[in-house]
Amino acid sequence: MALFLSLLLNGLALGMLIFLIAVGLSLIFGLMGVLNFAHGAIFAWGAYVGWMVYTSTGSFLLAILAGTAAGFVIGWVMERVFIRAFYGNHVAQILLTLGLMIVMTEGIKAIWGPNILGFDPPTWLQGTVPILGELFPIYRIFVIGVGLLVLIGVHLLLTRTKYGIIIRAGVQDPEMVQALGINVKQVFSLVFAFGAALASFGAVVAGPMFGSIVPEIGMTHQLNAFIVVVIGGTGNFIGAAVGALLVGLTQTFMAYYLPEAAVAVNVALMALVLILRPQGLFGARR
Amino acid sequence: MRERLFNNKLLLVILLAALAILPFVTDSKFLLSMMITVFIMAVYGMSYDLLLGYTGIVSFGHAIFFGVGAYSVGILLAKTGDKGLLWLAVGLAIVLSIVLGILVGVLSLRVKDVYFSMVTLAVGELLFIIAEKWNTLTGGNDGLTYIPVPKIFHDRLAFYYIALLFLAVMYLFLRRVVSSPLGRTLQAIRENEHRVRSLGYNVLQYKVASIVISGVVATLAGAMWALFQRYINTSVLGLDRTIDALLMTIIGGSGTLIGAVFGSGVITFVHDWLSSLSGVSPIFERYMMFFGIIYIIIVIWFPKGIIGTIRDKWMSLRHSRRS
Amino acid sequence: MKTLLQVDNLQTFIGQYHILQGVNLDVKEGRVTVILGRNGAGKTTTLRSIMGLTPPREGSITYEGESIHGQSTHVIAKKGIGYVPEDQGVFADLTVEENMKIAVRKADDATRERQELLLELFPDLKIAWKRKGGNLSGGQKQMLSIARAFVNDNRLLLIDEPSKGLAPIVVEKVMEAILELKKRTTIVLVEQNFLMASGIGDDVFIIDDGRTVHQDTMEAFKSNDELKKKYLGVGI
Repeated sequence: MALFLSLLLNGLALGMLIFLIAVGLSLIFGLMGVLNFAHGAIFAWGAYVGWMVYTSTGSFLLAILAGTAAGFVIGWVMERVFIRAFYGNHVAQILLTLGLMIVMTEGIKAIWGPNILGFDPPTWLQGTVPILGELFPIYRIFVIGVGLLVLIGVHLLLTRTKYGIIIRAGVQDPEMVQALGINVKQVFSLVFAFGAALASFGAVVAGPMFGSIVPEIGMTHQLNAFIVVVIGGTGNFIGAAVGALLVGLTQTFMAYYLPEAAVAVNVALMALVLILRPQGLFGARR
Repeated sequence: MRERLFNNKLLLVILLAALAILPFVTDSKFLLSMMITVFIMAVYGMSYDLLLGYTGIVSFGHAIFFGVGAYSVGILLAKTGDKGLLWLAVGLAIVLSIVLGILVGVLSLRVKDVYFSMVTLAVGELLFIIAEKWNTLTGGNDGLTYIPVPKIFHDRLAFYYIALLFLAVMYLFLRRVVSSPLGRTLQAIRENEHRVRSLGYNVLQYKVASIVISGVVATLAGAMWALFQRYINTSVLGLDRTIDALLMTIIGGSGTLIGAVFGSGVITFVHDWLSSLSGVSPIFERYMMFFGIIYIIIVIWFPKGIIGTIRDKWMSLRHSRRS
Repeated sequence: MKTLLQVDNLQTFIGQYHILQGVNLDVKEGRVTVILGRNGAGKTTTLRSIMGLTPPREGSITYEGESIHGQSTHVIAKKGIGYVPEDQGVFADLTVEENMKIAVRKADDATRERQELLLELFPDLKIAWKRKGGNLSGGQKQMLSIARAFVNDNRLLLIDEPSKGLAPIVVEKVMEAILELKKRTTIVLVEQNFLMASGIGDDVFIIDDGRTVHQDTMEAFKSNDELKKKYLGVGI
């Protein structure tokens, strides 16, 4: 029971992190048709900027702020400078984001070095708490809590605000949104930047959870996020949330019981969804 | 048109002849090795061009096929110690790559083209991790060393000619494919998929055929690689290997086939040159950044790559001269 | 009578296909202008060209005396043109309420009044208010799409085949609603169903092979069997 609880909480924490990356990827993909291959590199930049601010100021909150802001700015610039010119040409976009991924990852190595860097939680988040008689790291609880807050926040944003409604409508039919008198392109930049900010926010939070960062940190998470997008259905918020938790939990449980098959299970899950429900678990048929 | 075709062929024959004479001009073993690398990688790059340049779909896991070829040969020969099993290994690799190609293609392309990118990435990573973890079979990260290969492959000069022949045959084969009805349909799909479908073609079947052909050629390149190196590790399956294919095709020029050969040469030699400069400044260790920037510039401003752009310029020059 | 929308020699390409090869329209204010023509004649493309969704390569489009050719779709829409596409363009994941909300440009009293009127015309929408667009019937989708186009102070509505795929009884309902809206705005209607079109149309434009081949008042056209036979086929 205690083991199960511990795995469950670990799985939830990992699921929350994957969610933070996947939700931006999914919205960007759903809204603009852009499969952002540089999303993981943005995540990595968020982690490194956060690490830099954290080690130089000692303030974890400042680190989160700086990392998130870095992601927002990178996302904004990326959309404006590179992606915008190629709407309607998916192949060029996908190729461009791959190039940006290479340059950004190499940029990290050039600035911060190719080696592993330690990333400890701040003192106020260190230690453990007893839950049902089991000791559990405070930091993981923090990750779950923060993830939950963001999840609810994004949900409210998408359902309660006009911007959110426009985004959800745009995912289905950007042309019709345009025909209702709304400038969809403006929404595009904002969503791109917002998705990037969520990923880099997740990156700073993820740093202390794993205890260290490497330049390729984004790649594994990006792969998981892709799997989540396929499982949940593109541009679908609920799908991204449920898919991320599913992937996080299976990953954690499998890593304990059958570590050899941890990755295989997620890929198999994706294949299964593609066979049985190609539009994703929550994707609407078009 | 006839004249241009003739000129192109003539150029290719001259190029081939020059490459065939090369070993008589130099006796640098290092240069020959570099050239063998260029030839094998060029085949791998051309196979990618069939997907990207002629069918218009982006794979993020092309190393799957290269790795399957390399590991099939590597494992079978290293584990049995029987060089005679080479053909069996190649046959096995081809069967495996056909199965994988159909599987990945049918799974992802039923939904959307971009799903192919995501699924190939996932399957590529999966195979990479399997290769890392399955130590007893693959040697894990350390890889398989001293793969026994038939004697002829030990001879550098012989291997040079075998690799050159391999490149020439694969080039002719792929040229054949792209100018066949299949290839023309693929290009029509790239231009206007909707129209091809409305004409009654089963677009999915054509795309899967393209994946399978491309996969088999990449597999053969991987097998050649294992024979050449007589050592393989997980890097033959890694994302970097897939990125190599992309860089070669894009920099050389997608949709040209010969562009990948050119791209392979550029990347192999520039890579070597930049690595040799790393003593000058540590920034040269980041040679991938250099390739990434060139790649981005080409995608934005020269979408036809070096070869495609030169060819266009040359054609329009001739055109304007004539009129 | 004042001309609200004037279209001259519209030339539109889709890919390499020359779809429109000279469409002319003269839409008078306060009237219902019907565009008739065979399947594939270019009726839908004409509406899409006016909206800037498939921008024309040549020709002029003048709305309220001002050229809108080459403007972005959202700019054209904001000038007061409502668009009801052939597939209704209802957002499947959004509720009816949200579908209406996204359309509203200015939430003032006049808009609220128009929304009240629309809900009276289409009581179905009131009942389905919290339901997702994807779960509506074809008729309800059509009603929602029309309501969305008129909830703003739009002086021109472009409606693409509202009768398509609907049961006759539902077609009647939609027709009644359009007749009601006719009192308040100008309408361009693309229709295959001549019976429906002749009941509400004032002016007729016939498009064939991407060209305007005939224009008339509905009165004159209706009573001219020869023309009807020529352009719409026998049996109407």
